[in-house]
Amino acid sequence: MMKLLTSLVLGLTLLSAPVHAQSGPLRLEIDEGIIEPMPFAVPNFVPDDASAAQYATDISRVVAADLTGTGLFREISSDAFISRVSSFDAPVQFADWKAINAQALVTGAVNVSGQRLTVRFRVWDVFSGQELGDGLQLAGTTDGWRRMAHKVADQVYSRITGEGGYFDSRVAFVSESGPKNQRLKRLAIMDYDGANVQYLTDSAAIVLAPRFSPSGDRLLYTSYESGSPRIYVLDVGKVQRQELKTQDGTMSFSPRFSPDGRSIVYSLIQGGNTDLWRMDLASGQSARLTNTPAIETAPSYSPDGSQIVFESDRSGTPQLYVMPANGGEATRISFGQGRYGTPVWSPRGDLIAFTKQNKGRFHIGVMRTNGDEERLLTSSFLDEGPTWSPNGRVIMFTRETQGASGRATLYSVDISGRNLRPVRTPDGGSDPSWGPLQN
Amino acid sequence: MDTGTKISAIAHVSLIGWALFGGTFKSEPLPMAVQDVSVISAEQFAALTAQRNAPEVPTPPGTLQQPEEPEPQANAPEPVQEEQPSPEPVTPREPEPEAEPETVEAPPEPEVIEEPPVLIEPETETAALPVPPGPEAQPRPADRIAPEAIAPPPPEAKPDDVETPPVSLDEGAETQQEQQDQTAPEEAAPEIVTEAEETEDQSPRTSPRPRVRPNRPTPPAEPVVAETPEPAPETPSQNDEAAINDALTEALEGGAEPSGPPLTSGEKDAMRVAVSRCWNVGSLSTDALNVVVVVGFSLNRDGTVVGNSVRKLDSSGGSSAAEGQAYEAARRAVLRCGSKGYDLPADKYDQWQDIEITFNPERMRIK
Amino acid sequence: MNVLGKILALGALSVIAACSNNDPSALGGGAGGSGAIVPGSPSDPRSPAYFQQTVGDRVLFSVDQSTLTPQAKTTLQGQAEWLLANSDYVAKIEGHADEQGTREYNLALGARRANAAREFLISRGVAGNRLQTVSYGKERPIEICSTEECYSKNRRAVTVLTGSTLG
Repeated sequence: MMKLLTSLVLGLTLLSAPVHAQSGPLRLEIDEGIIEPMPFAVPNFVPDDASAAQYATDISRVVAADLTGTGLFREISSDAFISRVSSFDAPVQFADWKAINAQALVTGAVNVSGQRLTVRFRVWDVFSGQELGDGLQLAGTTDGWRRMAHKVADQVYSRITGEGGYFDSRVAFVSESGPKNQRLKRLAIMDYDGANVQYLTDSAAIVLAPRFSPSGDRLLYTSYESGSPRIYVLDVGKVQRQELKTQDGTMSFSPRFSPDGRSIVYSLIQGGNTDLWRMDLASGQSARLTNTPAIETAPSYSPDGSQIVFESDRSGTPQLYVMPANGGEATRISFGQGRYGTPVWSPRGDLIAFTKQNKGRFHIGVMRTNGDEERLLTSSFLDEGPTWSPNGRVIMFTRETQGASGRATLYSVDISGRNLRPVRTPDGGSDPSWGPLQN
Repeated sequence: MDTGTKISAIAHVSLIGWALFGGTFKSEPLPMAVQDVSVISAEQFAALTAQRNAPEVPTPPGTLQQPEEPEPQANAPEPVQEEQPSPEPVTPREPEPEAEPETVEAPPEPEVIEEPPVLIEPETETAALPVPPGPEAQPRPADRIAPEAIAPPPPEAKPDDVETPPVSLDEGAETQQEQQDQTAPEEAAPEIVTEAEETEDQSPRTSPRPRVRPNRPTPPAEPVVAETPEPAPETPSQNDEAAINDALTEALEGGAEPSGPPLTSGEKDAMRVAVSRCWNVGSLSTDALNVVVVVGFSLNRDGTVVGNSVRKLDSSGGSSAAEGQAYEAARRAVLRCGSKGYDLPADKYDQWQDIEITFNPERMRIK
Repeated sequence: MNVLGKILALGALSVIAACSNNDPSALGGGAGGSGAIVPGSPSDPRSPAYFQQTVGDRVLFSVDQSTLTPQAKTTLQGQAEWLLANSDYVAKIEGHADEQGTREYNLALGARRANAAREFLISRGVAGNRLQTVSYGKERPIEICSTEECYSKNRRAVTVLTGSTLG
C-alpha cells in the first residue's frame, strides 16, 4: 500500500505542471560542430531462407559500399558487432549498437521466390532509439539485385542527410584504350559505381562527350564517323543512333539537352569560327545564339532552362559567361587567375562547376552562378569535364596523367572538396555524364 | 481505504505506468511501405528494344501503412507481415549451393589514392610569410573537421570523443571503475583541405589567419570519464527510478531546495563544448545546413539525459524535411555526448536540469 | 624550296602513316590516280609523297595561337604552288592542338588553325572547294610526351591530300 501511495504521489507530481518552480531552462547557443563521417552499421540482411542468403549478403555489402563511398559515412566492421541481427522483426538492441558507437543502423530482410526478389529494410537512429522514416519493402527481380541495393542506400542516405541520394543512377562515359596517339574510344554506360559496364558504340570512330537527356533515355554525343565531328543522338534502350543534321559542310560538337529535353544547345564551327546554336529537336530548326569572332563552346543550361552558361575567349582567354537561353547579352562571371572552361550548372541551380587551368595545373572547381565564392576542389596535371550527381552533391570528372603513358581515369569528389576517389572502369575512362536517378 | 480511492489509485498507477513505459512496450506495428523496383538486367539491356519505352510503372514510394498491401504483381500474393513479432524461427543457413543463378561480383571497393601530402598550403590570406616553423601550424587533411586541430591519436587508442587514459584493473580496484581501453579523440583538421590547396612546392607560402573565435575561452580540460564526480546513486540505466526519486523529493520538499547560484560562463562554455564535439554536421544536406534548430532536454542529477526528454522546440530556415534532419543531428549530439553524463556542478542542478540549445550551423556551411 | 620546310617534313615522316590512318582513303587512292610516276617517291614533283615530304604538309603554331608564322607561310606558299600545279587533287586540312586545354576549347582551336591554313591557300589562288577542314582538337597528338618539345609539334595544321578529282 505504501508503494501504491508513493506512486500516487509521484503521479500527481508528474501530472501537475510546472514541475520546477525555480529558474527557467539553461539556454545555450552552439555554432561550431564537427564534420566527420557518421559511423553506421549494416548487419547482413536476414535471408528468409537459404536461397536468399547470397543476395542478402551481397545487397547489404552494396548498401554499405554506397554509403561509405559518399565520404559522409563510415561503416563499422561486423567484427565489432555485439548484437547479431537474426530476425528482422525482433526488437533492436540499441545498447549493443551504442556501445560500438554506431549512430545509424540499417536492418533488412531478403526473400527470393523464383526470379522475384523482395527486400525489406528499416533505418534506425541508434542513440535516440527511433526509426528514421518507415520501413520499406522493395520488390523486383533477382537480376536487378544491385539496383535494389542502390535504392535501399538512396533511402538511407536521404533519411539521414535530408537530400536525395544518387546511387541508383547511371553514368555514360567514353571508354579509352590504346596509346595516346592511337587512342581507341567507345561510348559506354555503367552504374554510378562502375558496375555493369556496357558499350554503346565500337571504336571505329572517335567519340566524345556523351550527355544524358533529362530523363536518361537518350544520349547526345559527338562522333567522327562521317570524318568530321558531328552530333548524334542515341536511344539508350534500343542502342540506336541517329545523326542530328546541322548545317552542311560544318563541324558541330559539345551538345547538351535543355532541361525539358526538347531542344539542344551546341557549338557549330563555320569558317573556323565556333559559335553557339540551339536546335529544336521536333522541327530540326536551328537558331544562332552567339555571333562573335571568338570561340564559344561548352554550353550548359540552368535547371530552369532560362539561362545558359558557356565558355568564350572573347576577352582574350577562355572565361565563363552567362546569357539568356535565347541568346542576347552575356555576362562574364569568372575573374580569377587562369583560364576557365566546361562550365556545368548544378541540378540544384546554386552552383556552377568548371575546369580551371592555371600555372600549368588543372582544377575542378565550383562557384556561385554569379561567379562568387570560387572554390577549387582538385588539382592535377589534367582534370577536366565535370558532371554533377543527380542531387548536386558530388562531381565526377576526367583525370589524365601526363607523359607518354598518360591515361584517363574517372574520378569523383564531394563538393566540399573531400572524398576524392577514382571510379573504377575496365579501361581508361573520360567525359563522364551522370544520368538522373532511375525510376 | 474505500473502494473509490483504490480504483482511483489503480487508475492513476496504470496511467503513470503507461506514461513511463508505454513507449518501451509499444506493440503497435511499425509502419512499412512497399515499393516496386523495375530493373533490367545486363542481358536484357543489350537485347531490349522498344518495350523499354513502355511505362515501367514503378510504384511510387508512397507510405503504405498496411504491410498486407497486396503487391501489384502477378505473383502469388506475398503476405508481408511486418507487424507480427512472430518468433519466426530463422532457418539455419545451409551452405549456399554454388548454383546461384547469377555470378555476383563483389561490390566495387573504390580506393582512395590521395597521396599523403607533404606540406599543405592554406588558401587565400594575402600576407606572404616565410614557411611557418612547425607542421602543426598548417591544416592537414583529415577525415574529420573539428573546431580544434587534433593530432593523430596514439595508434592503440579507440576513437572516442573524450580522451580517457587507460585504466588498469588494479588501479581501479577500490573504486568501481571498469577496466577501460585507452581512448582519444580522433585526428581532426580545423578546416577542409582540398587537393587544390595542397601543394608540393616549397616556395614561401601564405600564412592562415587565425580563425576568429569570439567569446570562446579555451575549453577546460575535458574531465576524465572514470572520475565522474558524485558516486551518483542513480545510474544512467535507472533513469526512471531517478526520476521517481527526484519527483518524490520535490513533492515532499515542496521545491524548498535552494536553486543555487547561476552557472559561470566557464561552466556554460564547457557544456557548450561538450555538446558541440558530438554535433556532426558532415552528413547533413546543404539545405539542412541552413536550418537553425532549438532543442530542449532535461538532465538527471548525474548529467545523463532524461529518456525521451529531447524535443524540438523550434526550427527555421529550411523545408520540413531539412528541419527534421537538422533536428536529428542535434538530438544525436545531445544524446551521444551525454551518454556518460555531462560534467556539470552538482550543487547547481536546478540551473541545468532543463536545457535549451540553439544549434546554428551558419559557420559550418560549405563555403 | 625552303630547307626548313623540308627538315620539318622529314622529321615528321615517321608519323605520317599514323596521321593518314585517320582517313584510310587518303593517300592510296590519290597516288594511284596520279599516273605514271612511281608512287611514294618524294623526288617526283607530282607525287603526294613529294607534297608531304618535300613541300611539307604541315605548319606549326604557338601556344593558343592560330596566326601563321613566317615559316608557316613559306610552307603554305609551297603547298599552294603544288596544288595549283596539280589541280586534280583535293585536300583536307586537319587542325590539332596540344593537350593543354579542355577538349571542347581545343576542338574549336584546331578548327581555327585549319581555317587559317585554308584561308592562306585560298589567298594564293587555290579554289576553296578543293579545301575541306576538320579539327581533331587534342584527340590525335603525333608526339605523346607532356613537354613543350612534343606540344610544339602537336599544335599543327596538316594538309592531307584526300584524292584526285581525276579518279
